[in-house]
Amino acid sequence: MMPGRIGHLPIASENPLGLSWHDSAWIPSLNPSNIMDYFSERSNPFFDRTCNNEVVKMQRLSMDQLQNMTGLEYILLHVQEPILYVIRKQHRQSPMQTIPLADYYIIAGIVYQAPDLASVLNSRILSAVHHLQCSFEETMTYSKYHPSKGYWWDHKNKTGPFNVGQSAPKEVSSAPKEEPSTLFQRQRVDMLLAELVRQFPLPVTQTAANQNGVTVKTENTNDKGSEKPQDGSLNNITIKQEPMDPMGSDMTNGMQGHMEIKTEIKQENMKPPPEKKPRT
Amino acid sequence: MEEPISRYEKIDFLGEGQFATVYKARDVKTDKIVAVKKIKIGSRLEAQDGINRTALREIKLLQELQHINLIGLLDVFGQKSNVSLVFDFMDTDLEIVIKDSSIVLTPANVKSYMIMTLKGLEYLHQNWILHRDLKPNNLLINREGILKIGDFGLAKAFGSPSRINTHQVVTRWYRSPELLFGARQYGTGVDMWAVGCILAELLLRVPFLPGESDLDQLSRIFQVFGTPTEEIWPGMKTLTDYVQYKQFPAQQLRHIFSAAADDLIQLLESLLALYPPRRCDCTQALMMPYFSNKPAPSLGPKLPMPSNVTKIEVEKPSLKRKLLDNIDGGSLAKRLQF
Repeated sequence: MMPGRIGHLPIASENPLGLSWHDSAWIPSLNPSNIMDYFSERSNPFFDRTCNNEVVKMQRLSMDQLQNMTGLEYILLHVQEPILYVIRKQHRQSPMQTIPLADYYIIAGIVYQAPDLASVLNSRILSAVHHLQCSFEETMTYSKYHPSKGYWWDHKNKTGPFNVGQSAPKEVSSAPKEEPSTLFQRQRVDMLLAELVRQFPLPVTQTAANQNGVTVKTENTNDKGSEKPQDGSLNNITIKQEPMDPMGSDMTNGMQGHMEIKTEIKQENMKPPPEKKPRT
Repeated sequence: MEEPISRYEKIDFLGEGQFATVYKARDVKTDKIVAVKKIKIGSRLEAQDGINRTALREIKLLQELQHINLIGLLDVFGQKSNVSLVFDFMDTDLEIVIKDSSIVLTPANVKSYMIMTLKGLEYLHQNWILHRDLKPNNLLINREGILKIGDFGLAKAFGSPSRINTHQVVTRWYRSPELLFGARQYGTGVDMWAVGCILAELLLRVPFLPGESDLDQLSRIFQVFGTPTEEIWPGMKTLTDYVQYKQFPAQQLRHIFSAAADDLIQLLESLLALYPPRRCDCTQALMMPYFSNKPAPSLGPKLPMPSNVTKIEVEKPSLKRKLLDNIDGGSLAKRLQF
């Protein structure tokens, strides 16, 4: 409504609900008769100095004139001695008609803007959802799966009591120690993988497209890599792929035809599967 | 000589000044209300040109000036040894409005008064005339809310580099610092300073710089704007009546005019610049953001009127109607703005 009204409060215009203001020099002497003067202090970010109150004050007129003006004004809405005051910012249409714009409460001298219902609901729902999400994320870190055991809850690896605020991202970094797979499992999986590799040779188009004479070496493919190798026995499969004809590298096309995949599978210690481990 | 006297029918006595008596009268010919200013003969010294000098100035200048925001000189007639000037009748003036504590001057009202003042003054300056006596008392307002600059008793043509002017012009409170330092060559800046003081008075409702003497006037100016240095005001020390003042720090205008928006402060600072060449002229002032920003200036009929004027209006609504119709184009344009 008033000139430059928006430009005056750069901080407050962003989110006034996150602000509070006080002037400690005033606090000991606050009372219902001077609370409006306190609120209209120049440094108060909630106070728009182009309001009718300030116009009347600057013109040295009686505050009763506010009733006859239209536009923005502040009124003392409620007093609860000794420390609570509520001030309303409203738009006056006529002596009898006003539209409330915002309420401010001054408690123990500190001024806050009372939030509107939408902001309260928004904030409450957001924090509820946030905490729910945190709890789910937390729960997920306790859930364990193992091919031989299925799913189970693991509370042992957690150190100390749980801190809701920080735990979720932290736990990811400190990877818990996992139980080593049984020999049976390793060998069976290795066999299966070797069989699969034989049936479905790894595509070599990538190699061809890259450079000549490149060797793609893929080791230890029996797991996704999250499992650290416990001992040398895991490196029992080696898949090597290399172009058979080094001279063919001069040619730019038709390379696939000259290529073969040499698949070498070394297997050690082929043993019959042991009994299934009892569940811990 | 008989004809003009019978043309104007005296209604009321309005006031008496140093040089003239003013009556409210009805123009029988047009049935319009006018103000008749009967010039006193005055002393022999004053009348040595045959007529009082201020009256001569008014006649000389106003005959050639025609603007909605300048008082219109409608007629001049003589009767015996008296000369009478016929002006537009104005219901009130800005001083009465400012002093009426039942009136609140909203930012929109202030802007409206400023626009009308600056437009009238711009026209005056474009015609190389300085008013030299701007004050709220000389800004006349009629019941349609149109402000007109009046009292051209001190007005004078300016711009001639060799002409020496007197510095004893402008009522003290509205007098610019260069006049107070005795400058004899000055320009539109003296009127602009006065406009700045009037604007300040509209905001504060009391005279902004009510000096008790010329020295006190300068002291009050410097207490607000800070004592100027040679950097701020080159050549200040060469002025005739220059006196060294105590060093005052400048105050923040936004602290004095607490409810004024930033664009209004900007205008004030520009009008009340100490160094005359730094002061804006009317055209520059009217181009400032203050006049294009919200709120829009109040329309004439919505401007506040002192209680005595409003009363007349209620009693004679037909007259107001007639007057509104008389200003034909003006009122139509205003309606369109809604």
